[in-house]
Amino acid sequence: MSVRSAEVVVIGGGVIGTAITYYLARQGVDVALVERGDIASGTSSACDGFVMLQTKDPGLKLKMALESAQIFQNLSDELEWDIGYRKDGGMVIIETKQQLEAVLPRIEEQRKYGLKIELLDSQQTKQRQPCLGNHLIASTYSPMDAQVHPIKLTLGFAQAAEKHGAKLCLFTEVKNIRIRKNQINAVITDNGQIKTEVVVNAAGVMAPQVGKMVNLEIPIIPRRGQIVVTEQVPPLLKGILTSATYLAAKKVGKSSQSTNEDAKKLGVGLIVEQTEDGNLILGSTREFVGYNKRTSYQGIHAVIKGVTKVIPVLREVNVIRTFAGLRPATPDGLPILGEASHPKGFIIAAGHEGDGIALAPITGKLIGDLITKGEFPNRFAQLNLQRFSKN
Amino acid sequence: MDEMNKDLIICRCEEVTEGEIKKAIRSGARTITGIKRRTRAGMGLCQGRTCQNLVRKLLAKETNQKLGDLKPPTVRPPVRAIKLGIFEKSEE
Repeated sequence: MSVRSAEVVVIGGGVIGTAITYYLARQGVDVALVERGDIASGTSSACDGFVMLQTKDPGLKLKMALESAQIFQNLSDELEWDIGYRKDGGMVIIETKQQLEAVLPRIEEQRKYGLKIELLDSQQTKQRQPCLGNHLIASTYSPMDAQVHPIKLTLGFAQAAEKHGAKLCLFTEVKNIRIRKNQINAVITDNGQIKTEVVVNAAGVMAPQVGKMVNLEIPIIPRRGQIVVTEQVPPLLKGILTSATYLAAKKVGKSSQSTNEDAKKLGVGLIVEQTEDGNLILGSTREFVGYNKRTSYQGIHAVIKGVTKVIPVLREVNVIRTFAGLRPATPDGLPILGEASHPKGFIIAAGHEGDGIALAPITGKLIGDLITKGEFPNRFAQLNLQRFSKN
Repeated sequence: MDEMNKDLIICRCEEVTEGEIKKAIRSGARTITGIKRRTRAGMGLCQGRTCQNLVRKLLAKETNQKLGDLKPPTVRPPVRAIKLGIFEKSEE
């Protein structure tokens, strides 16, 4: 679609860009979304569907996730589109005493934010999730954890945005951004230019390249996650599952607690979910390998080894597909949200790493309110880009 | 659109019909992968090995593109379904 002008141009047709476009269009803003490929053709179609709260550190991340979770509850109705939302709870398995010691103070802290979370002993853990192996010593369970279908969610935001009058410019690449007197003036694409005074950079792993167009350095780097998909099987897993490995790892200041050398190097952290269709999604590596989106034998092997140890019965299930996605990672693990110091009208909403799906609704709402009302809540003010230039 | 073919199953694994694929194209899909994301065609046990050519032909016809101009979707391992237990014990 050829668009010549818009009040706001959103760059990026992933879950963040489409969410923002939806919230703007809903408020009656004349908004155009520019995406170099199709809707959900990058990170948002190469990830899991976790809307998990208990993995979020107490603080800003958990606050955002809780507000987002609230929006998710009625989002299918609101968008008039099935986003595959299921709130079946989530579990973090605990395999060592050290992990248990790291988890206990953390869940106390999380409860203060309003998270419902309980500690289960090994027997209760097996009762709730019978497919698990016998070596687990405990787990934490939260009934507030949920999952969505990431592609359906992104397509849902896009179609709802369009219904509210947003223009979607797909297969259109942004080449440059024109500035006049330190004010955004136009977005130059390979399909002509769009006059506008406000640009939202929601380009995910490509956000630094868009930042360069206005002389901003945005510290986001791609982090590869390799994922395995199995054939469809009858309901095996209830809710979503991950492991506390990463918590203990944080505590001792190492990158991973795994004894497996490969897993350590690849940053493997266990995630398992079963989709509505019955496929199991198994993950995932966390590797810094530039923009390489291919899967590797070592990565897939490490993921499978980690998963079969926890759910032994999976050894009998077939892998049908493997894929990798690039997560937009920031130095402090928090997204970059808000208006940049310059040029005027340049807003950033990127760097959600592995939390983009879970945080998309709240991100869309925050950026929508920032643009339509000029308000950005104080509690999230420190998420701006300027936080990286303070020291 | 041939109304007669509307309910014809194109992707047998995921039971996706010709009507659903045409609807996906009308809603903006311009690639085989785009159709897959919207309909699940090619996402099943055979990973599109049976239906991909049919989907290609439909896409070419509906969008007035030449068959040869359509980019094939990314090929993802494994080539054939394999049990996790066998993969786990394998060596490169």
